[in-house]
Amino acid sequence: MQPRRQPPPAPRSGPGNPRPTPLLALLLLLAPVVAPAGSSGAENPAQPQDAGVPRRLLQQAARAALHFFNFRAGSPSALRVLAEVQEGRAWINPKEGCKVDVVFSTERYKPESLLQEGEGRLGKCSARVVFKNQKPRPAINVTCTRLIEKKKRQQEDYLLYKQMKQLKNPLEIVSIPDNHGHIDPYLRPIWDLAFLGSSYVMWEMTTQVSHYYLAQLTSVRQWKTNDDTIDFDYTVLLHELSTQEIIPCHIHLVWYPGKPLKVKYHCQELQTPEEASGTEEGSAVPTELSNF
Amino acid sequence: MRWTLFIGALIGSSICDREKFFGDQVFRINVRNGDEISKLSQLVNSNNLKLDVWKSLSTFNRPVDVLVPSVSLQAVKSFLRSQGLEYAVAIEDLQIYHEMDNIASDFPDLVRRVKIGHSFENRPMYVLKFSTGEGARRPAIWLNAGIHSREWISQATAIWTARKIVSDYQRDPAITSILEKMDIFLLPVANPDGYVYTQTQNRLWRKTRSLNPGSSCVGADPNRNWNASFAGKGASDNPCSEVYHGPHANSEVEVKSVVDFIQKHGNFKCFIDLHSYSQLLMYPYGYSAKKAPDAKELDKVARRAAKALASVSGTEYQVGPTCTTVYPASGSSIDWAYDNGIKFAFTFELRDTGTYGFLLPANQIIPTAEETWLGLKTIMEHVRDNLY
Repeated sequence: MQPRRQPPPAPRSGPGNPRPTPLLALLLLLAPVVAPAGSSGAENPAQPQDAGVPRRLLQQAARAALHFFNFRAGSPSALRVLAEVQEGRAWINPKEGCKVDVVFSTERYKPESLLQEGEGRLGKCSARVVFKNQKPRPAINVTCTRLIEKKKRQQEDYLLYKQMKQLKNPLEIVSIPDNHGHIDPYLRPIWDLAFLGSSYVMWEMTTQVSHYYLAQLTSVRQWKTNDDTIDFDYTVLLHELSTQEIIPCHIHLVWYPGKPLKVKYHCQELQTPEEASGTEEGSAVPTELSNF
Repeated sequence: MRWTLFIGALIGSSICDREKFFGDQVFRINVRNGDEISKLSQLVNSNNLKLDVWKSLSTFNRPVDVLVPSVSLQAVKSFLRSQGLEYAVAIEDLQIYHEMDNIASDFPDLVRRVKIGHSFENRPMYVLKFSTGEGARRPAIWLNAGIHSREWISQATAIWTARKIVSDYQRDPAITSILEKMDIFLLPVANPDGYVYTQTQNRLWRKTRSLNPGSSCVGADPNRNWNASFAGKGASDNPCSEVYHGPHANSEVEVKSVVDFIQKHGNFKCFIDLHSYSQLLMYPYGYSAKKAPDAKELDKVARRAAKALASVSGTEYQVGPTCTTVYPASGSSIDWAYDNGIKFAFTFELRDTGTYGFLLPANQIIPTAEETWLGLKTIMEHVRDNLY
């Protein structure tokens, strides 16, 4: 991935300036932050502000790890989102990148039950994430405790698979969610699968500084297959938080319950599309990456 | 529940008819001669644009009012421009302005709708002034919303809050005592052009709609345009960027209108800016990692406010200075306010934390507004008790 922007400086190793030692890693210890699991958190006084390593870096690592975890699990009905970063350490080499060990809690990704946070269904993950300056695809090693019983997960995946197979084509969809945040129940499987596919993209694109959310699907197309796999193309809009940019990506994925997800994608590295003219200034830098 | 219906329900049955005009505009077109009349007839008679003549073509030198549905806006504008026909947008198309007007006329002793300026595309900028006292320049609180147009929960929360203030005054001791001592100014739509654009063209538009000479990209980020380390870190000089700071500080008329008003007033003590999303409550600075002189106090107040907010539905907010909590950002509203003597300067990033992001479903509007209200009240109570 070729960044258009100035590559961000490597995060500081602590108060004061990073020492310019090229090879030696700087080991930093963080006081572990206590996070009550699943509580309303009313008394939780949020993380201390003068932590040696910016909390942000730990969050970046946790996010990258979770995207990778979701992708590798390949299960659209068992997606997880970040609940809280609990503790972590980082080794920072300003010239090369950084290595982060992080422990974090997760919640089940279930948009319609967002308000029931105190359900107690928190999983715990620990990960080692290596960010290389100016290179995509942070290296990830992550393990998580089980949130959903395996059999249940398989059943839900298979149900989702059947729902997708029953969708009539061509799908006449404008956006998911619509502009008012609504997702039709019969379209939920599409959204979940798109989220899974986008996890692959977001894993690859997350860096020490950039992080992404899936904002909206703007087009969906399902292909007939000779085997029983689900094959579809869609366009997603990713929202990158530090630059506030909206990035359109074309994603093509192939999925079958229990099998690894296959993803191919191409994100447009274009600035804000403007209203009238069809031609954008700057060049589209195709990022044709896949695991096919 | 759709957002448009929700706002409609908030506004009341008298405004229900307005639903079908949501996003539509009335164009007042000047016709100066027979040639122009025939061009205009062409336009009006074309079936696919679905135009509706309100005041008809009769003679020259009389303007013609035509209702243009939102889907045809672009086509009509292009046509008029290419034919050299003069026009102006006659009726503002924002439901939210009607609601503000209703609130002011329902509670004339407490509220006034005040025009503080206009947008790039010449839409009025309206604030609601809540005041129980006579006399000029009572200490005041500024509530800013909708500066980034795609953050719809911000404008929605603001208008709910306006209704809440009027209905709770003289019922709730907290807001009553706040208003006894101070005025509240509420700007629900700080970026009206952007807001209309999100309803008609691009749901994820963030910036203003000002034109950038020499660029095909439109708009500047109004929250990088304030005169606080303008063009510093965390802003871009590229007009195509979502965080383009603009050619100079206060170049965006929407920002300048607020700055001029606040400076002329001279007695603001608190400035709160509502955004989404991420669930954060932040205080200065964004433009630098340096600690604000009042950071300790602001942090304490913010934590109390976050706790009050969480007490409603368990929604957790993180608290801290902008630069280290989210990212460096120069030219922001609260940094400007703080550096200009408005000590209690806070930014709320409202729900959620990324599941729906900007596209927060309508059924979360009231819960969000209700919890945010407790956070706002906590801050305002502290200001009331710590006037300087």
